[in-house]
Amino acid sequence: MITDFKQRYEHAVADPDLRPRLLAFQRSWRESRDAQVSRLEQRTERSFDELRRDFASVKDATLERIDDYIAEFRANAEATGAVVIELSTAEDAVEYIAGVCKARGIDLVVKSKSMVSEEIELNDELAERGITAIETDLGEWLLQLAEQRPSHLVMPAIHQKRQYVAEILGEELGREFDPDDIPAMVASARQGLRRHYLAAGAGLTGANALVAETGSIMVVTNEGNMRLATSLPDVHFVTAGIEKLIPTWSDAERQLQLLPRSATAQTLSTYTTCITGAQPGKEMHIILLDNGRREMREDSAIGAALRCIRCGACANVCPPYQIVGGHTFGHIYTGAIGLVNTSFHHDIEDAAGPQGLCVSCGACETVCPVAIPLPRQILSIRRKATESGHAPRWERWLLRAWSMPQVFRAVMKLGSVASSVARALGLVRRDHIRLPLPRRLSWRSIPAIPAQTGSRLIAKRTPQPTLAPSPAAGSTVDLFAQCLADRLMPVTVDASALLIEAGGASVNVPSDQQCCGLPAFDAGDWETARRMARATIAVLSRTDHQIVTPATSCVISMRDHWPQLFRDEPETLARADAIADRVHDLAAWLDGPGRLPDGCLEREGASSWTAHRFCQSSNRGEPGARIALLVERLTGETAAPLEEPEVCCGFGGLTSIAAPEVGEGILDRKLDCVAASGCETLLTNNPGCALHLRAGAVARGAAHDTLHYADYLAARLPDDS
Amino acid sequence: MITASDRGTQFAEALHAAQGEIAWFDSWDELWDFADSLSDDVPVVSPAAHQFLQRGDLPDAIEPLRSIADRAVGITVATLGVAETGSLLLVERAPIDRAVSLLTRHLIVAVGEDDLVDELTDGFRWLAEQPRAAAYATFVTGPSRTADIERSLTIGVQGPSRLTAAVLT
Repeated sequence: MITDFKQRYEHAVADPDLRPRLLAFQRSWRESRDAQVSRLEQRTERSFDELRRDFASVKDATLERIDDYIAEFRANAEATGAVVIELSTAEDAVEYIAGVCKARGIDLVVKSKSMVSEEIELNDELAERGITAIETDLGEWLLQLAEQRPSHLVMPAIHQKRQYVAEILGEELGREFDPDDIPAMVASARQGLRRHYLAAGAGLTGANALVAETGSIMVVTNEGNMRLATSLPDVHFVTAGIEKLIPTWSDAERQLQLLPRSATAQTLSTYTTCITGAQPGKEMHIILLDNGRREMREDSAIGAALRCIRCGACANVCPPYQIVGGHTFGHIYTGAIGLVNTSFHHDIEDAAGPQGLCVSCGACETVCPVAIPLPRQILSIRRKATESGHAPRWERWLLRAWSMPQVFRAVMKLGSVASSVARALGLVRRDHIRLPLPRRLSWRSIPAIPAQTGSRLIAKRTPQPTLAPSPAAGSTVDLFAQCLADRLMPVTVDASALLIEAGGASVNVPSDQQCCGLPAFDAGDWETARRMARATIAVLSRTDHQIVTPATSCVISMRDHWPQLFRDEPETLARADAIADRVHDLAAWLDGPGRLPDGCLEREGASSWTAHRFCQSSNRGEPGARIALLVERLTGETAAPLEEPEVCCGFGGLTSIAAPEVGEGILDRKLDCVAASGCETLLTNNPGCALHLRAGAVARGAAHDTLHYADYLAARLPDDS
Repeated sequence: MITASDRGTQFAEALHAAQGEIAWFDSWDELWDFADSLSDDVPVVSPAAHQFLQRGDLPDAIEPLRSIADRAVGITVATLGVAETGSLLLVERAPIDRAVSLLTRHLIVAVGEDDLVDELTDGFRWLAEQPRAAAYATFVTGPSRTADIERSLTIGVQGPSRLTAAVLT
């Protein structure tokens, strides 16, 4: 039974063991997987990126001519005695399997792990038809005994703790188990399942690959149950999606280079089994399931998701997955890929709930062994969910209000007045208002809104004299302050202007700036996003100056989101592109056109600092993400090492509002790493992250200060010049 | 140029990494003596290995499971060994051929030193050229394992808990 999303979410965040268990899993997987991948790169003398793009192109080419490959596969498999049947829907597949069982008088099926069988909810459906299916993979069997579903593609029972396993095994086998004796529990599966293999009339497996040139299936396992399930019963069912087809054995080997390393961080799993045709005296039925796959293929934004080889790597690096687990972050398919394919194999309702949990950090795409652009695909599904009315109503209203400059300004003005009152009452400490918040939000504090905006601070002061002329010296630069930074971090906006001026350029702050549209785009509300983007395009089209912003996320929005938003509006698109060409992240500017010389901001009495890079840009390898290098270059100071620098801080746009426990959990992970670095100052490069990290650090009473790197650098400009 | 002995070393290293063991023998007799010394129980021998050994218990064709299940030591033969991964390619067309490698506790897999190949690619090339062999072929890399309970790696689940590659020189 899959309960509704809200229930699953609440259940997950109430489980005190889930987060630490998944955190330990993610960290150890990352270490072993990275070691495996670097050995592979050394051995093949090719980069992971080259290897994965190679195999991805094999998958793409196969999918493009899928019917030809199915025909080739069918001809070869049937020549060796297998039955190959193509079916469109989950119901068709269930009926087919049940039909064969009925005709043969089979009432017990032993199953090896198959995600397609989960997709079609085969066990429940067979049970309704009087046929018992027994899972024989240890993890799947434990789930079946507990009436649960997999919470991970390859580690299905990762959410269960050993005490619970001891309990359910004890119930099934009628004896007591010591929860600390895992080998004894594992050994019991050998005996507990043996009788089922003997009694079963059919064995069912999935397939990691369907090899067209010989009509073979390839299955990768570790336990040995798949070999038993295909050796003892007389009938062998294979359930596989059509996307599992590959042309040749040489392609199968390429898949194997990537699959076990990405799945369980093994060089090769224990058993790689290749079966061609029915074995002597036995039957083999290979079910090729569509169930939404051709529809995925036709969707230009989604088609690449069919490359998926079900390794689960996308979940293993996903920060929200670590907080809520796969029962919440996904439906039947879990992790990032589950957020994409669920709406095709199931319903948009099933896919809608978890959409808001994704923080768009982009980590999944960096480890995907077939280079699926998962972050972009999730946004496309999220848009579908939003447009079909599945987004929360508060979100829609919030974004509408944000898109209206008068409303936004009025709210901020009100906030700054309230903040002044709070300040007068002595309620403000470390720039945050000390008011008790409800428990769900108590992990953060409310930033006091300063009286003046960043643009105003710049207008009121005299320009910073040139410290060292940069290539851009003498030019005028437009500063895009960013909506949040301008109001909540005015000093940072001013600091950015000072650093640009130090390179000899003068700064113009175009009036009437608002939001680039990113929050609405991320929320799948393209209509509102377009409205915001159009307004920003109008403001920034007034000059042809180079544009600099301290907000790394807005650069991504302008370069990557705008072309998507205005795909069908050539005129706007041309103006958007022109702006995207002129826009620079401040860090990239200070290394590029506005370059300041090495060591020019060296100062006595440096504090120790470390840097958190905005995840979305560092996961794309954008130069602006290299803030630690920039600060080191300009100040001559060295960053303190920070563990997991690429992991998100938990802000994730609206995620930390919609799912505060996710925002809190990821932030805790980050702040623990910051605390472990022992630094006095945490530098970061995106205003949203800076606000989130600062509000959390103040709430937990952390020892370090949180600054945008522009603040840190500008404070090192000479006082007298 | 990779020499035969380099290949053997590489094979041994990769197999160890997969928790497998390796032993070198000059003859089938030596191999048998080793297998027989491991337990009081007589080793069971797959039909393929029996051709060479002419000793040990064969699985019962009617009741392979009952006659073999959980026996202490089993012996079978691999077609190829892959140095890169420490894998052994078992070609086992009929269930009776598989009984020994599926169900015994300590599996000994004989492989000729000359049958070691460098890379998995070579193994797959061989498979592609031998469609009949691919009827049921398995690259076995170490003993059976699981990490399904709290990610704790446990060796020996439903298949063998020890695996020794017996390289025949």
